[in-house]
Amino acid sequence: MIRLQNVSKVYDGGVVALKDVSIEVQKGEFVFLVGPSGSGKSTMIRLVLREEPATSGDIWMAGKHISAIAPWKVPYVRRSVGTVFQDFKLLPSKTVAENVAFALEVIGRPRSVIRSQVPQVLKLVGLSAKADRFPLQLSGGEQQRVSIARAFVNRPLILLADEPTGNLDPATSVGIMRLLDRINRTGTTVVMATHDHAIVDAMRRRVIQLERGRVVRDQSRGVYEGHVTEDVLNDDDSVEA
Amino acid sequence: MRLRFLITEAFVNLRRNALMVLGAVLAVFVTILLIFGALVIREVVRLTTVFWEDGVRVLAFVNDDLSPSGVDALIREVEGWDGVASVRFVTKAEAYQEALEIFEGQDFNLRTIEENPSILPASVRITPDNVDLYQEIEDRLRAHPAVIRATSPGAGLERMIAIRDFLTQVTLVVVIGLAVSAIVLIANTIRLAIYARREEVGIMKLVGASNWFVRIPFLLEGLIEGLIGGALAAGLVIGLWRLGVKTRLDELPNLIRFDISDQFLTQWAVILVLLGGFVGVLGSGIALRRFLREA
Repeated sequence: MIRLQNVSKVYDGGVVALKDVSIEVQKGEFVFLVGPSGSGKSTMIRLVLREEPATSGDIWMAGKHISAIAPWKVPYVRRSVGTVFQDFKLLPSKTVAENVAFALEVIGRPRSVIRSQVPQVLKLVGLSAKADRFPLQLSGGEQQRVSIARAFVNRPLILLADEPTGNLDPATSVGIMRLLDRINRTGTTVVMATHDHAIVDAMRRRVIQLERGRVVRDQSRGVYEGHVTEDVLNDDDSVEA
Repeated sequence: MRLRFLITEAFVNLRRNALMVLGAVLAVFVTILLIFGALVIREVVRLTTVFWEDGVRVLAFVNDDLSPSGVDALIREVEGWDGVASVRFVTKAEAYQEALEIFEGQDFNLRTIEENPSILPASVRITPDNVDLYQEIEDRLRAHPAVIRATSPGAGLERMIAIRDFLTQVTLVVVIGLAVSAIVLIANTIRLAIYARREEVGIMKLVGASNWFVRIPFLLEGLIEGLIGGALAAGLVIGLWRLGVKTRLDELPNLIRFDISDQFLTQWAVILVLLGGFVGVLGSGIALRRFLREA
């Protein structure tokens, strides 16, 4: 479903964000991306979304070779991915239902589809009763549910979540994780970047750990703090390059 | 659904930055107004000077009784005069055809001519090689027995043509400058619109809205601004013409022909309104290229 092959990303000024990363995520998997700030988690998500191009290497997503795709096709590839961010990215002037509908409107879905899909997905995230509220009238956890609803309303093959619980308290986070787990069980591939030890340890899913732009651990049913091969961590050239 | 969404978005932007939009619309308005004004002046000059094509500056209508040999004699005689570069003879038949063209669109005059095809006399048309000798040539022709009437636009025509050429050049320079500022001003309103909607644009891109879907509301906004500016200018020119000139054709000096055809005005109005729209699309296109990537 997602495949990175020898992918590196060097930003202007020589900052190496990812170095020779090769990973593969199968359909229906639930994957945690862990590692300290600046280890390359967000960069990886941006590359998979093709918000920026990789410096070298190849990326496939949902069967598309997105590192070689024409720029105008990028939006169409993105329709098979849903994205969720730490800061929700909701439009404050639109209601909950309108925020979710917006994602369908702007890709030209017919009104009949919008009318049937929006209530359905709001029910899935448990916000049917608050469809006409505005985002600022909701709690942080509820706002994140709205953004998950928006990401999922188009039934994407992949859900990318960048620190979705970063702004939420532990109890609320558990609710969000249950929701992501439920979405995963519909067959949607979920990739979630996180700092949250408790969540990773509780879920026991595949864990990919990044350090200074390199994959230092890729473990199925892993926990947050895992055993990392010493020689990889001591390989300091990734910082100086 | 899609169409309504896009148009609504474009109008929301227009309202949000009313003052900036007003500036952009005004710039287009002034640009189009100047172009239209210059075109009208050119048309007035063209109509007024239509008889005086290609350097012909003295015209003498000849007596209908004049025989072909008399015509030859007259031409040869005039060709011998000081200051005459060339002489052309226009027969009655040619004069009729010419009149049909000159009075195109003026039904009353056309009817008079068509009912009396032989009303128009033959004429000799003289191209002088010296501006100072216009009057002398005209006087000599008038005294000639074969000539009914001689006429010359005099130095006024040269002045009119000089004014037209000067105005054309000045207008061209000013219009280019104004068009550039109109494009820049429109680009700026679009930049503000992109900034105001950067969150929406970000989300649209994130959920896979196609590039055109993201751009079209902004392009529409530029188009609307340009069309409004162009339409206001075209409306003003046509309005002034209808109220200020057309109703008063009788009071205006006869020497200058102000009777521009409605067809000329509407045709250019359409072209210039479209030009305004083009300026608008160009301005928003520039803004999109520069600012949408970062949004």
